[in-house]
Amino acid sequence: MLNKFLKSRIKTAKSLVNELSKSYDYVSVLGSYAKTKRIVSSTKTTGIDEMDNECGFVIKVYKDGRYSEYSCDDIDGLSVNTVKKAITLKDVPEFRKVPVLKEDKTVKSYAREDGHPLGNKEILEKLEAIRHEQEKYNEKIILSNLVYIKHEVSKIFVSTNKCLDQKYDWINGIMVVVTRDGNNIQQNFHTENEADSELVLKELDEVKFREADVALKMLEAKPIVPGVYDIITDQSISGLIAHEAFGHGVEMDMFVKNRAKAKDYVGKYVASPIVNMYDGAASALSAASYFFDDDGVEAHNTQIIKDGILVSGISDSLSALELDKEPTGNGRRESYERKVYTRMTNTFFAKGKDKFDDMVKSIKHGYYLCQTNNGMEDPKNWQIQCTAAYGLEIKDGKFTGEIVAPVVISGYVVDLLSSISMVSDDFKVIGSGMCGKGHKEWVFVSDGGPNLKARAKLG
Amino acid sequence: MKTNDIIKILKENKKIADYELTVTEKKSRELFYVLKNLEINRATEITKNRITVYVDKKDKRGSTTIMITSSDDEKSVVKKVNDAVVKASQALNPYFPLQNKTVNIKEKCEFKEDLNEVALKIGNAVFKADVYKEGWINSTEIFVSKYTKHFINSKGINHSYEFLRCEVEVIPTWSNGKEEFELYKFFESAKPDYKLVTKEVEEILELAKNRSIAKKIDEVKLPKNLKVLIQGDMLNNLVWNFASELSYRANYYKVNHYQLKDEISGVPFDITLKGVDKKCSNSCPFDQNGVVLENKKIIKSGKAVSLWGDMQHAHYLDNAATGKYSILDLKGTELDYETDKHLIISNFSSPQLDENSGYWGGEVRLALYFDGKKYIPVSNFSISGNIFEDVKKMHVSKEKAAQPDYTGPRYLIFEGLNIF
Repeated sequence: MLNKFLKSRIKTAKSLVNELSKSYDYVSVLGSYAKTKRIVSSTKTTGIDEMDNECGFVIKVYKDGRYSEYSCDDIDGLSVNTVKKAITLKDVPEFRKVPVLKEDKTVKSYAREDGHPLGNKEILEKLEAIRHEQEKYNEKIILSNLVYIKHEVSKIFVSTNKCLDQKYDWINGIMVVVTRDGNNIQQNFHTENEADSELVLKELDEVKFREADVALKMLEAKPIVPGVYDIITDQSISGLIAHEAFGHGVEMDMFVKNRAKAKDYVGKYVASPIVNMYDGAASALSAASYFFDDDGVEAHNTQIIKDGILVSGISDSLSALELDKEPTGNGRRESYERKVYTRMTNTFFAKGKDKFDDMVKSIKHGYYLCQTNNGMEDPKNWQIQCTAAYGLEIKDGKFTGEIVAPVVISGYVVDLLSSISMVSDDFKVIGSGMCGKGHKEWVFVSDGGPNLKARAKLG
Repeated sequence: MKTNDIIKILKENKKIADYELTVTEKKSRELFYVLKNLEINRATEITKNRITVYVDKKDKRGSTTIMITSSDDEKSVVKKVNDAVVKASQALNPYFPLQNKTVNIKEKCEFKEDLNEVALKIGNAVFKADVYKEGWINSTEIFVSKYTKHFINSKGINHSYEFLRCEVEVIPTWSNGKEEFELYKFFESAKPDYKLVTKEVEEILELAKNRSIAKKIDEVKLPKNLKVLIQGDMLNNLVWNFASELSYRANYYKVNHYQLKDEISGVPFDITLKGVDKKCSNSCPFDQNGVVLENKKIIKSGKAVSLWGDMQHAHYLDNAATGKYSILDLKGTELDYETDKHLIISNFSSPQLDENSGYWGGEVRLALYFDGKKYIPVSNFSISGNIFEDVKKMHVSKEKAAQPDYTGPRYLIFEGLNIF
């Protein structure tokens, strides 16, 4: 159910839109409320926190070709003059004349609640039970850390033509296992993500020994010998490549700034013909599955790459307006304190027809790269940096039992995507990540896809 | 809700053993440019109230953190506090005390200029350096924010600290006639420094120019055991990792590689942790528990001489809390590198450090290779090393630098790194 406070401010937001519309050609009010419950059971500490980490409003206005915004904690009693005073510039520099936003009349409410909500005590007991079993599993496990996080988000969007509200929940379960052998310390992490608390805890329980085994195996890890190898990516690394290597480059606010090479590649091959890629809040049920974006645009499912050809970018309202395109519902703010940018949501490669075992059998010498660690975009020049937590060696079509860690994938985006020669029929979207734009503006995202076989420079 | 009203509710709840309240007020003005044209301007005026309540049961202590927002009135705050008491009672840890009454800090920021005007002046300072035909600043974001942080706890601590932060993000682009190349720069300062802004933009434009003419690394013959100079975020990650290793937290969880009195490196270096430094925008004289931050030397001549950390983990290790620091000062053994062949890493895509294995490195967007006579820009390669080994031969440059949370040499100098 929509947060009561936001519900109580819909009428106030409408009045404010009416008042400000006397001075401005476009006015909207976004109200945002986000609550995070975090329950931790760790080898040495435990904790329950429940924070309303976001509660506030953004007023957006347009006049004479320019947009301005005012962010505040509450709109009750907020005077038009306070807004005007804060956003008025005495010496207006040259500004970019942007058209005014046009919106269709829409009034709608949306909701998606936790499938099986649980009490704090029950959650903590389940986490503790998993942790105790993991700690007892092997004496080299020095730390087991189980975290349950429930995000509850409510938003309202009010403009002259629109009145929207939404409430949605998302639950992350995080498992971190630290192993130690002398001065050799290794860490493995695993996440489960669902719109259902009970399911998240059940899935964490199911993987507790498997993930402990990985953390123990990592104690044997060696550095990789740098070189060019055949690789198979697990779903998280496929997602990392979709997101970092290509996704950032099709955020169309980058097209407006002429910052993205992809702008010149629409309609051209950017990947092997067996590659298809999607993004959208409506394209999968995951961490970024909202019903409308922070511009009040309904969630979309956008195909970005079709049979290897770049067919579409993604956009927020303003970028779409400037490029004369339809917005794709990708306008997102870190919080009500920050500006809207074009942002990815749930980003993934579509599944193919190949069997994972056949992919392994096809490799003479290479690595199965697992578990996303870090990545960085380069939309203008399409250089890649994606890091896998570890890689498992494959020789003559079989796993050798050797492990390397960590593994950095680098190179040129189109070379990597064009080298994709097999796409598995497995599919998973992982919704536990956060993504920055540049080095700031963090939002929740998911990514994933099938296993991919490609050729890449590793180091 | 007013601070005094929140404190009254906390005091009236007899189940609460201790509490901490941090009130942060932020007023910011922000400008977003595409090329030299303003696209959007923003103003932010907000307050955040963060409360941690502590509940004691025998020799155990539980805590829960909540936020009080604009949606709260007296009735809802009382309910939130009551709920927090229940949650704290369900998640108990070994007892630790809060910081007792000490000298209360009151520091005001005397800066009175209009923040919109400061932001506009910073914009002008950016564009003062944006004067080339082949290169330009593609987009600029400017944030000028004034903060007031007020910390109160149940032991009588009442600190307040006002500060200013000026943040600038610029994306420089340079065309070599065939292709355009860009880099990324984010920098911040504790007061407006327009000359510094212009200098930073001049430097990053020069680097973008270098990226546009950079050779691939295999076009340049690199000698073995080349001196590699590391700066910026990567330097920051590496030196803070030494500090993290010596934190009470790392020692309590036994995830540290170094113990007190260990020799970290035979090449001497010192690390001192600080709360305040005029050159650093992360300055704050107290930490999140209200502990007043006194300078603390943790590494002396390459040896671990002291641990450091917050109230909770200090108590668990039976040590005095030093507080959680936000600034690190490094002094190292200087090395003359100027006339030798060397490689200066200007920009990583995203600097990587695995604090468990010690692996560090990443893909390099731009570096400058000095071949003994001249600098040659190089790009599209990666470097890697292991910091627990590399530190044993770590030297530093004579040139100095300051970042939001770092003061010391501009470069760390290593040999024997993997370059591929």
